[in-house]
Amino acid sequence: MSHKAVAIKPADDPAFQLPASLAGLSLPMIIGGIVALVGGAFFSNSAVGGRFGMSSYLVAYMYCLTLAIGSLFFVLIQHLSRAGWSVVVRRVAELMMIMVIPLALLFIPIAVSAYTGSLYVWSAEGYQAEHGIPSAIWEQKERWLNPNWFVARSLIYLTVWCGIAAWYYRGSQRQDETGEITITEKLQARSGPAVIAFSFCTSFAAFDWVMSLAPMWFSTMFGVYLFTGSILSAHCAICLFSFLLQRAGAMRDEVTVEHYHDLGKLIFGFICFWGYISFSQYMLIWYANIPEETHWFYTRSTNGWFNVSLVLMILHWGLPFAGTMSRHVRRRPWLISCWAAYILVLHLVDLYWIIIPEAGMGLGGAAGIIATLVCVIGMIALMLGLMLKLAAGTRVVPVRDPRLGESLAFENF
Amino acid sequence: MTESQPKPKTVADDKKVHGVVAEFTDVDSLLAACRRVRDAGYTKADAFTPFPVHGIDTALGIKPTILPWISLAAGLTGTTIALLMQISLNGQTELFEGIQYPYIISGKPFISLPAFIPVTFELTILLASFGTFFGMWALNGLPRFSNPMFTSPRFDRATDDTFFLFLDAKDSRFDEAGAKALLGELGGEFVEPVLEDDSSKVIPKGLLITLATVICLSSIPALAVLRMRVTKSGSPRFHIFPDMDFSPSKDAQQTTSLFADGRAMRPDVPGTVRRGEMDWDLNFKTGIDMDELASIDAPRAAQLVALQSDVAVDEEDEVAAEEPAVEEQTADEAATEEPAPAGETGEASENTSVAATADDTPWLTENPLELSEEALARGQQQFNIYCSVCHGMNGRGNGLVNRRAQEILATTWTPPSNMHDPTLYSDVYPDGKLFSTITNGVRKMPGYASQIKAKDRWAIVAYVRALQTSQDATLEDVPGSQRSKIEKEQADVQAKLKAAAEAEAAKAAEAADAE
Repeated sequence: MSHKAVAIKPADDPAFQLPASLAGLSLPMIIGGIVALVGGAFFSNSAVGGRFGMSSYLVAYMYCLTLAIGSLFFVLIQHLSRAGWSVVVRRVAELMMIMVIPLALLFIPIAVSAYTGSLYVWSAEGYQAEHGIPSAIWEQKERWLNPNWFVARSLIYLTVWCGIAAWYYRGSQRQDETGEITITEKLQARSGPAVIAFSFCTSFAAFDWVMSLAPMWFSTMFGVYLFTGSILSAHCAICLFSFLLQRAGAMRDEVTVEHYHDLGKLIFGFICFWGYISFSQYMLIWYANIPEETHWFYTRSTNGWFNVSLVLMILHWGLPFAGTMSRHVRRRPWLISCWAAYILVLHLVDLYWIIIPEAGMGLGGAAGIIATLVCVIGMIALMLGLMLKLAAGTRVVPVRDPRLGESLAFENF
Repeated sequence: MTESQPKPKTVADDKKVHGVVAEFTDVDSLLAACRRVRDAGYTKADAFTPFPVHGIDTALGIKPTILPWISLAAGLTGTTIALLMQISLNGQTELFEGIQYPYIISGKPFISLPAFIPVTFELTILLASFGTFFGMWALNGLPRFSNPMFTSPRFDRATDDTFFLFLDAKDSRFDEAGAKALLGELGGEFVEPVLEDDSSKVIPKGLLITLATVICLSSIPALAVLRMRVTKSGSPRFHIFPDMDFSPSKDAQQTTSLFADGRAMRPDVPGTVRRGEMDWDLNFKTGIDMDELASIDAPRAAQLVALQSDVAVDEEDEVAAEEPAVEEQTADEAATEEPAPAGETGEASENTSVAATADDTPWLTENPLELSEEALARGQQQFNIYCSVCHGMNGRGNGLVNRRAQEILATTWTPPSNMHDPTLYSDVYPDGKLFSTITNGVRKMPGYASQIKAKDRWAIVAYVRALQTSQDATLEDVPGSQRSKIEKEQADVQAKLKAAAEAEAAKAAEAADAE
């Protein structure tokens, strides 16, 4: 439809390679990340005590996991909708989504904690007696929440995610070499079932890994809530990484203002969606005012957490909503990337607000916050290091995708 | 093309020129021409293409649409309207005094933002959509049924394979020859003027008839419903919402097996304070000056406090702690003063002989209610409902119940008091005592505390005082402005009475004469 002829560069063009300045960061990041992660978790455990150490680890883990599965969803959706515009930024998402494989290994401490009782209260001895939960109810709960079944379910989720991610990653890589259109067709054909499997796993994983921190609380909206944060932050990460890659010299001509504009539109949309979902979850519980449901929000409206809730409402929804509403913002790559980075920080606050109150130590104090931050930074560094290592061996744009030309010539109007 | 077809139009005909249009065969020449036209200073120009052409807006110098701003303004209007509407309907604020409808819903505060958000959200979206949709209409000049461009016979190909560039005659730079020259120079083919559309603007009759028919037909459901409402039918009623028509909720006075006492209407939980009654003090609820009473009869005051108190436990303890000290004092007083009548020291509800015995209770002598027209009207209404059956509408003690009791010579009946008896005037029978009588009853009269609210009982007291005054009023009580009117009416009535009496006398005399 376009009159503009955009030249597709050859597949071995240096513009598609990861710049050496970034590739060199890989190893230090991996080592530093592991050190920070382990150190942060231990520091958190000793400085604050209780379940705080594992909670900090879970915040870091969920932060990276939500980014990875958000990217996985992004890739699936692009294939499902046969989107042309997104081809130039899809490889960034693919590199992020394949991180579910190392993240599956990093799940081991959480699986162990289900047996030792150092993270989930339901796995700790005497929780039922301590809280006076009727045994009839607790027996029902225990049929679902027991360590063996928990780990078995977790394995299913991780297998499904890793399977989908690996399959889509491999398909995209193979197309880089061969340029076969049939690969795209196959990826598209499988995207429907893949999205369904993905949604179930994501929702149930949210219930199991995060919501079961407060085992007597339940919200059918919670799976969607966590998914919303993950898809929002995934878009932000794609936007930010594309911008940083361009700054470092890769894919300079490929990603244009138009792509940032579209990512910005999606970021704006998912900011609304996040506000919509989190408010829906809150309002139903607030209105019904049933004690067993309200305690989750009650914890978060007292003891310092109220301010964090307010911060989330204003800074996670209000401010970026107004900030990314304008087309002029979305059409300035550096500006929308700033907003993306901002949302990524707020996503961390969101996860902290979801997970840490259940550790039962209030806000955790300066030591708790710093320890969690160190954990998160360590985990991010580890993931980034692995991503850079992977990216150095491949290309940052799917160079032989049949829709690459469409994506290059893409214009919003 | 037949003979009846008019000759091809030329500019020489006295028709107004709408603009000049030129054809282009490909996108690139069109875009180049657009840029040149823009650079030549034309602002009112337009291009027509069979498909969207990227970058043509900038090439033509068309400014970005202001539609987003319209949407934003409409959306914000929706937000504001929704919030103001809900706050004004539910809220008790000084801002919206006069239209407030404070209604507690599931114990939430009146201005309860979370509950307002769904409506606010919906109205924001609705108005933003309307703003966008109709704003687009307005910006496009819709509804417009025809565009002068369509008078150009070659223009049909704009939806097929040809590109058009159009210069509007409304542009300040426009002159026909210059525009034609410019377009020709830019490579436009078939450069020709577009004439204003002077075809009839009359709406076709068929369309009007169709519209009228649709409107008529659309009223059928409403008419059917109206008819059903006024006609009788043998078939059972049609229930659109059966669960709303046959609600499982209980009606007033029905019984239930759910509660041990069988009552479906639940009485107030002990200690309940009605909304707005929190700050009414004990004086208001008893009609007695409690401070005064405490100083002369502490045990009774304590008893009344305990009876009326809502926070029973705390205050009882307090009273119990204070009691010994007060008791000594009252013992002294009791020795010097007359002992209080037995009825007085009993529970307030058993206090049946207030009027009969010597009474040292410090009754309130002034109605604590703020007296106003409404309070009096309320008092009158309540009096007519509860009191007039015995005391009569005018308070003379001759209500229907009393009349019936007299008729059947009921032996246990004690006739109700005449409100206009001097012993019931405010100087001997203080307002507080009257209030207490309504509350607790006297002789045959039961206490009305459970049926009439305290505030309404005070309103009745006020109304009784007004009744008493009305029956004993002199001309001095009437405002000066109305005195002459009443004097005149009085004179009229007297004149009429006199005339009637004279007429009767004359008649009697006539009759006597006739005999």
